[in-house]
Amino acid sequence: MAPSQNLETEGITRRRSLAALAGAGALALAGCTSDSGGNGGDDGSGDGGSDDGGSGDDGSGDGGSGSISGDIRISGSSTVYPVAQEVTRSFAEQNPEVDFNLSRDGSGGGFENVFIPGDSDINNASRPISEDEIQRCRDNGIEPVEFFVARDALTVVVNNDADFIDSISLEDLQTIWSPDTAPERWSDVNSDWPDEPFDLYGPASTSGTYDYFTETVIGETEADQPIREDFEGTEEDDLIAQGVQGNVHALGYLPFAYYVNNPDSVKALSLSVDGGDPVEPSLEGAASGNYPLARPLFFYGNMDMIQEKNHLQAFLEYYVNEADEEYIAEDIGYVPSNQDMVDANLENLEAAAAGEYEYEPISTR
Amino acid sequence: MATEESTSDGLGRSTALRLQHLKGRLFEVALVAATLVGIVSLLALFAQISIDAFQPGSASPTWFLVYLGTLVAPTAAFTLYARRRPAVRETNAKAFAAVFGGLLLSFVTYAVVDSLSPYDVFTYVFFTSLPPAIVVAYDRTTDDRTFTGPAIPASIVVGLAVAALLYDVVRGPIGIAAEWIMYFGLVTVPAALLIGTLTASRRGRRSGVVAGGSVIVGGLAVAVASIVTGTNAAFPVVLFSAFVVPTGYVLWRSVRTDPEGRVGVAGPFVLLGGTLLGAAVVGQFGIQNPDTFLTPTLLLESWDGLRANNAGVYPQIVGSIIIVGFMAVLAFPVGIGAAIYLEEYAPDSGLRGRLATLLEINISNLAGVPSVVYGLLGLALFRRTLGFGTGIVFSAAGTLGLLILPIVIVSTQEALRAVPDALRQGSYGMGASRWQTLREVVLPEAIPGTLTGTILALARAIGETAPLVIIAVATTKYSPPSGLFSSATALPLQIFAASANAKPEFRHGVVPAAAVVLLILMLLMNATAIVIRNKYGREH
Repeated sequence: MAPSQNLETEGITRRRSLAALAGAGALALAGCTSDSGGNGGDDGSGDGGSDDGGSGDDGSGDGGSGSISGDIRISGSSTVYPVAQEVTRSFAEQNPEVDFNLSRDGSGGGFENVFIPGDSDINNASRPISEDEIQRCRDNGIEPVEFFVARDALTVVVNNDADFIDSISLEDLQTIWSPDTAPERWSDVNSDWPDEPFDLYGPASTSGTYDYFTETVIGETEADQPIREDFEGTEEDDLIAQGVQGNVHALGYLPFAYYVNNPDSVKALSLSVDGGDPVEPSLEGAASGNYPLARPLFFYGNMDMIQEKNHLQAFLEYYVNEADEEYIAEDIGYVPSNQDMVDANLENLEAAAAGEYEYEPISTR
Repeated sequence: MATEESTSDGLGRSTALRLQHLKGRLFEVALVAATLVGIVSLLALFAQISIDAFQPGSASPTWFLVYLGTLVAPTAAFTLYARRRPAVRETNAKAFAAVFGGLLLSFVTYAVVDSLSPYDVFTYVFFTSLPPAIVVAYDRTTDDRTFTGPAIPASIVVGLAVAALLYDVVRGPIGIAAEWIMYFGLVTVPAALLIGTLTASRRGRRSGVVAGGSVIVGGLAVAVASIVTGTNAAFPVVLFSAFVVPTGYVLWRSVRTDPEGRVGVAGPFVLLGGTLLGAAVVGQFGIQNPDTFLTPTLLLESWDGLRANNAGVYPQIVGSIIIVGFMAVLAFPVGIGAAIYLEEYAPDSGLRGRLATLLEINISNLAGVPSVVYGLLGLALFRRTLGFGTGIVFSAAGTLGLLILPIVIVSTQEALRAVPDALRQGSYGMGASRWQTLREVVLPEAIPGTLTGTILALARAIGETAPLVIIAVATTKYSPPSGLFSSATALPLQIFAASANAKPEFRHGVVPAAAVVLLILMLLMNATAIVIRNKYGREH
């Protein structure tokens, strides 16, 4: 660890010296320690340096050295991005020689443009990898290694002044949102509710949250669209919250992560399943399985890269172990891994490092 | 009866006249309304962004008073004073350009060279500048200049090839030297040569050597001083060579040669001094600063997606500058070359003439193609066809280069077209060839227009997001790109990502602050364009 810590102080010193000098303009020569000159050893990736083009990453040559270095490319879902961002940030702080590179391409876009051509080491996905994508990975000689790291809970929200409702059953939700029933007024669903028209807000059809909601809550429909058409669909969670804030008789659904960070803007409803007791939306509830609406978040590693790059193995081990930490819940608002998930992920990592992993879809998820 | 009729006739005519008048007035009112709607909505938008970015409401009233006293009042007084005296105003503008241009140059040079590794940059710059330097030196010793002109670009290519060949051999020994020596070679030596040549052309060879030599000695002294005090010598050397030396030269010349306007050199220092003094007073008395996210942390640290106070975009800023800089190297020679061919050489008639017309129509249309399409083009060309990795600096610069190429061509063509034909004819009349006319007459006249157009194209490229998303340029990196074939990152991508952050302080604090940083980068480019245009405009 000693050499890498050295490098870290050096990196900080340079930025600090730049900051200090910027502040004092031309007049100051700010005091910092450590004359640098140890930068001679960085390998190969320089200006016009050789790059074989095809594989994109030149992470070899980190084998026997004490500190880990090299680059790690992460592509894919923008839902998983906040987790990956925080984990890479803390890992890069301890290992400044590991160069991370995160892009947000969407689950499908990441697989299609970056992971399947073999350009990224890890692809984030807010849904399981599809059969078609697995086939195309294997056609390119890539075995995707699955890591199930977290869950993103959904929250059903109403206006803060909507006193008539505190909880809702999944069946009622289905009735409200299904294109087959599509009730006009609250009282059409439950006679205790006011005789007022619905005002519905939700994510647009491009969102993974939308896909999960339509599959899980609405299910199969007789009409040829998965959800009723007369709701406001938007890419911005902010706009859903604002829409619900604007009407006492509005109803919407949001990622729980947004609600956790903006708890005063709207009121979250408890959910009940099959006549059971309503469960408040909470990460504990989602983790234990009591809260019914939580979608799985994954990332997929490239097995060849895992075998090839020691620093990638080290990072994945760190990531998997970090995925059950408190901050995933408290700061990001996702349901962290439980111990079983961590164990399963470590098992997958071990198998991948040995080159023995083979992807199998788990039917009961 | 007759008189009555004529009166009503006259009335009718004057009514028609008044209606005509009214129509004209209404049209004018509509134009004013259109202008106001545009300007007011833009102003409202920028006001919203700036208020979110600077959070002026969170500062204490004393804060405003302090800066009113130290910064606003003196600057306003000085501006009023300078406005009435043209000589002072001109010197003031020159001093501003020197001081802030020098500061900007120092920061950008240091940040870019630091991230690309000073040893690599030095190796390549050394080998590519040595052969042309030898050619130029030979040119001085002989009268036969038939071959030296074309030999300069050829020797640069040779130097580049030699650098690539010898890289593995040379890089090791060079790596032993201290970092500041690289910066000394990259910045101080050119600065010394520049100052030396300028002085020599004005006051003779002897003074030139003395001036250049004193810059070298000064640079060494700064390096020694920083090493003695235990500071990293690299940045002080850059700051001395790219800021202190040129600023000192410009200011010293103004003070010596321009007795009327010499007060003007104080302008930038009133501004800088006021800011520093204000900061000192605010710090001393613990006055409440505005709760802004536009802080040194934002400019000099890397990203943090959870703690807004800790979020920085340094790698993204440097990444954007590197992408746009390399893009300029790729796109400008091609674009300007194409424009010169189309405007000066392409025939007007015949098959080739029709081909050239077709080309011109296509180029004009390409300027309006949506940027997403260029992103797809870049993905297909650089990743799928040429097999480069996704999201590397080279692909990003190439994609954006294709995007601005039509703009560069069209604006250069306009600039060439604006050169009066009489100048060309006069040159031909004196027996000059087409190439001589172009080099000595047309191009110098067209430089201001060309530079303005191309720098505006740069400003457009720095804000592009969609093509970079398509070619999968990284949103978040913790260090700036380290070379042309390492993965790139860019500021607009991080702004886009942060606008989807679940925490409100990111959406309403960090995003506007980063947007202001992007706007400032763009405005600095535009300001450079204006300064260059004015400079050339005056000389010709």
